[in-house]
Amino acid sequence: MAKALFVLTLWLCTSLSTLAATPPKKPPTWGELASEQQQILAPLSDDWDNFEPERKRRWIGIAKRYPNMKPDEQARVQRRMQAWAKLSPKERDAARARYKKMEKLSQERKEGLKEQWEEYNRLPEQERRKLGSTPRKPPTTVQKAKPPTSSPERPAPPEDVPAPGPAR
Amino acid sequence: MNEQQIAYRIKQYLNRGLELDAGKLVRLKAAREQALTRQRVESRIPILAWAGNVIGKSGGPSTLVPRVLLPMAVLILGLIAVNHWRDSQLAAEIEEIDAAVLTGDLPLDAYLDKGFDAWLKRSSY
Repeated sequence: MAKALFVLTLWLCTSLSTLAATPPKKPPTWGELASEQQQILAPLSDDWDNFEPERKRRWIGIAKRYPNMKPDEQARVQRRMQAWAKLSPKERDAARARYKKMEKLSQERKEGLKEQWEEYNRLPEQERRKLGSTPRKPPTTVQKAKPPTSSPERPAPPEDVPAPGPAR
Repeated sequence: MNEQQIAYRIKQYLNRGLELDAGKLVRLKAAREQALTRQRVESRIPILAWAGNVIGKSGGPSTLVPRVLLPMAVLILGLIAVNHWRDSQLAAEIEEIDAAVLTGDLPLDAYLDKGFDAWLKRSSY
């Protein structure tokens, strides 16, 4: 009995240490992705193999959600994917923190955010600078492959930022 | 007869003196000395006394496995599981936020612009 317990414990200890030491399954390289995933994540094809494993997993997660998104959401993901991936980890973290903050607003205020963003963009550039705004990079709209959408072809919606202001 | 009465009786008998032969007296004395020594050691090093209790008292080293190693293995397994769960929760939360930022009404710039943040704060954020 004691011997059996000893063996069991030993087995538990060794299996635990190997479990703790070995990283979880390695995420796929670009070539190893399923063709549907490749189509969805096409804007990331150049950078994919340089992504850290957890970033790859996150994008694969987003690709999994993609078929359940509304057509306009799918279009937005396609437009924003590359810009989002090109941001530095710090910028992405800051953006996530701001998103979380905005999520805490009342429903009414959340619905008004888009209008407020438009209003903010109508401010003179100088005023925006004073508030801490930095000149934005021009949007990158490079797309490698036609993304699979669940809707019939529609004209490309207008770009995200509506303001004609020079601070882009 | 309660406990106190028994103790009183024993005390009286002992006061009167026991007629024990020399061999019994020697054995009694030795047993007393042994008990006293053990008590002294235990009180001086409580950690060793505890370790002795864990390992030695019932069955020697063979009880080391169920008493120490098994609970320890279970504890480690638990810690690893909690850690893993926490990591996956965090990863899921980040994925959720990324999906929302990528699909939402607001453009990415709205989340990146410090000025917009400050402006919202100013207008009763």
